[in-house]
Amino acid sequence: MDHNIYLIGLNHRSAGVDVRERYALTNIEEFESGLLELGVREVMALSTCNRVEILIVCAPEITQTNILEYWAKRCCGSVTELEPNTYCHDGLNAVKHLFRVACSLDSMIVGEPQILGQLKDSYRKAVEAGAARVIINRMLHKSFFVAKRVRTETSIASSAVSISYAAVELAKKIFGELEGQRAMLIGAGEMAELAATHLLNSGVEQISIANRTYSRAEDLAKCMGGKAVAFENLYDHLVETDIIISSTGAPHAVISAKEMRKVIKKRKYRPMFFIDIAVPRDIDPDVNGLDNVYLYDIDDLKDVVEENKSQREDEAVKANSIVEFETLSFGNWINSLDLQPTIVDLFNRSEHVAQQELAKTLKRLGDVDAKTHKALETMAMSIGKKLLHEPVAFLKRRTAEEGKADKFVDLARRMFNLDNETIPADAHCGRKKNRNLED
Amino acid sequence: MTLFELFQYVIIALYLAGTVCFFIGSLKNNKSLGKLGNLVAVCGFALHTLDLLLAVTMYRGTVLSGGYFYFSLLGWSFILVYFGLWWKLRSTFFALTASPLALLLFLVSLASQSLKVTLPAHLSGLFIGLHIGTIFVSIALMAMAAGAGVAFIYLNNKIKTKANLTGIEKEMPSLNTFDNVNHWSIIIGFPLYTLSLASGFLWARAAFSKMFSWDPKEIVTLVVWFLFAFLFHQRIMVGWRGKKPAILVIIVFAITMFSLWGINFFVPTHHSFKV
Repeated sequence: MDHNIYLIGLNHRSAGVDVRERYALTNIEEFESGLLELGVREVMALSTCNRVEILIVCAPEITQTNILEYWAKRCCGSVTELEPNTYCHDGLNAVKHLFRVACSLDSMIVGEPQILGQLKDSYRKAVEAGAARVIINRMLHKSFFVAKRVRTETSIASSAVSISYAAVELAKKIFGELEGQRAMLIGAGEMAELAATHLLNSGVEQISIANRTYSRAEDLAKCMGGKAVAFENLYDHLVETDIIISSTGAPHAVISAKEMRKVIKKRKYRPMFFIDIAVPRDIDPDVNGLDNVYLYDIDDLKDVVEENKSQREDEAVKANSIVEFETLSFGNWINSLDLQPTIVDLFNRSEHVAQQELAKTLKRLGDVDAKTHKALETMAMSIGKKLLHEPVAFLKRRTAEEGKADKFVDLARRMFNLDNETIPADAHCGRKKNRNLED
Repeated sequence: MTLFELFQYVIIALYLAGTVCFFIGSLKNNKSLGKLGNLVAVCGFALHTLDLLLAVTMYRGTVLSGGYFYFSLLGWSFILVYFGLWWKLRSTFFALTASPLALLLFLVSLASQSLKVTLPAHLSGLFIGLHIGTIFVSIALMAMAAGAGVAFIYLNNKIKTKANLTGIEKEMPSLNTFDNVNHWSIIIGFPLYTLSLASGFLWARAAFSKMFSWDPKEIVTLVVWFLFAFLFHQRIMVGWRGKKPAILVIIVFAITMFSLWGINFFVPTHHSFKV
């Protein structure tokens, strides 16, 4: 193989939020076209709040360090800062990672559906910019297929998989639909962000963020599409807030039952739901004693989640084995992009068809002597070979001229269906619309 | 078997089938059973409506003094109010209160064919619709609110004590939904109740030439009205929500039921059902 596949990126596990913010990609199109100028063959970049993934197909001359340098330069950072926070997968590991991302197995909230949409968006942009070609096209299509398989064959997307899921379920039990409800984060941390994302996904109307450091609140608000709130006016804002997720590092209670009594009266007793995931706790436990106020702390939610834990593990195992299987099958396809195996496959296919037809004809003819048998067989085989002569010559010529002919080899494999794929009826929906882009 | 009897058996069968669908559907968390229950209840309700209309048109003179008619009408109002709630909230949960009560009332109505009520003759046609229609719908609303109140208190307690929600609890409507039922029942129920009382007193003045005759039923009803008015005020003006109005509406409904079953049957009153 004369090309390398790299997936370089960072996510919520490899990098802290400040690094994620600094190295997020703001202009994906420019980023991709810059990489193409650098000499990579194909590229697709994905950048969200929680992750950056850069998928690259390039000649062996280009190394991971080149890519990291380019990335750091574009974000006005340095490789020494960026490198320890990133991961780099190559070959099939890159493919596997991409599949895991698409299936949301790599997400903060395992099974959350948003990432697939974001991936599709990025792919569309890469196609529009002409940055995605044979391999990335195939890889992304395959990843959407894998994601669909995981979603239908496992219940990873539907089971209660995390504390924030449990929190959202409880909120629904209290408020019914979450549309129109307002949520607030007090303090910021990984867990709180996670729960907030989940709330937003479930339709919460607005999210506000209160933090002792106002600028940090503003940063987070920008990232989540919410609004920052001054910590001093906390109680005033509580009057307008229905769901509160608290996770400050304060050593004592931030919200007292006495003040809450006033707040709830001002709210005309509309219900409130507090989720306190801080240790030590931020919210006075007596708050739970007030009518129409519900307080859950981290331990209460853990209990709720516990019962689903074993089920979740089973589902994750199932999903991972689907990903493994599909990664291997993708590997087979990549290898077949070399010319030689494709020629072998083509001749095998023609021989197979010839043998089948020969068997049918012999059956119809009844008893024939050995000579006729031999003549028929020779004829069937040579028709197959003669037919393939020109296409194979074409593929060889192209390979000799351009050094490689991925595109045509792939085309030949698809035309003759050498990978024995079943093609779904809706496979080409929307192709007309995107035709100009794909060419 | 007369047409009426046939009607009644079919209505009973439909209400029974509907009730069974609703209960099993809720227990097994089966939405299509709930839908089937709705369908069956709609059929039962349509027949019930027809039955009431026929009774009114065919036995014009006697029907209004037959106790069975009122029970049947009350049962009908329950289903009517349930459909109203369903239209608003799309939850079959409230059928668990409405459909067994409607079935029970319809059965009672059949068992009480011989009951007679005394109607003062004056202006009876004008007031009966106003007095009876409004009170029955408001009782049905109260019943729904009381059912929602019980469910609210139960679920509220579960959530407050952080118990794991299992089975039917997971599928119950939200606390907010129960509170909404309470809200709408009071908003609509209280004015209707007031209207019923006012028309009753006016009717009494026309018929007995005095508004208030210290009749036991009148006293209890007035007590209920005061409680209801208090609830209405607290809910609208003070903004009560959740547990307190839930408890109060259960009390109001309990007194009303006591007044319906206890007083109408056993205490001498001019609302009495005489056997």
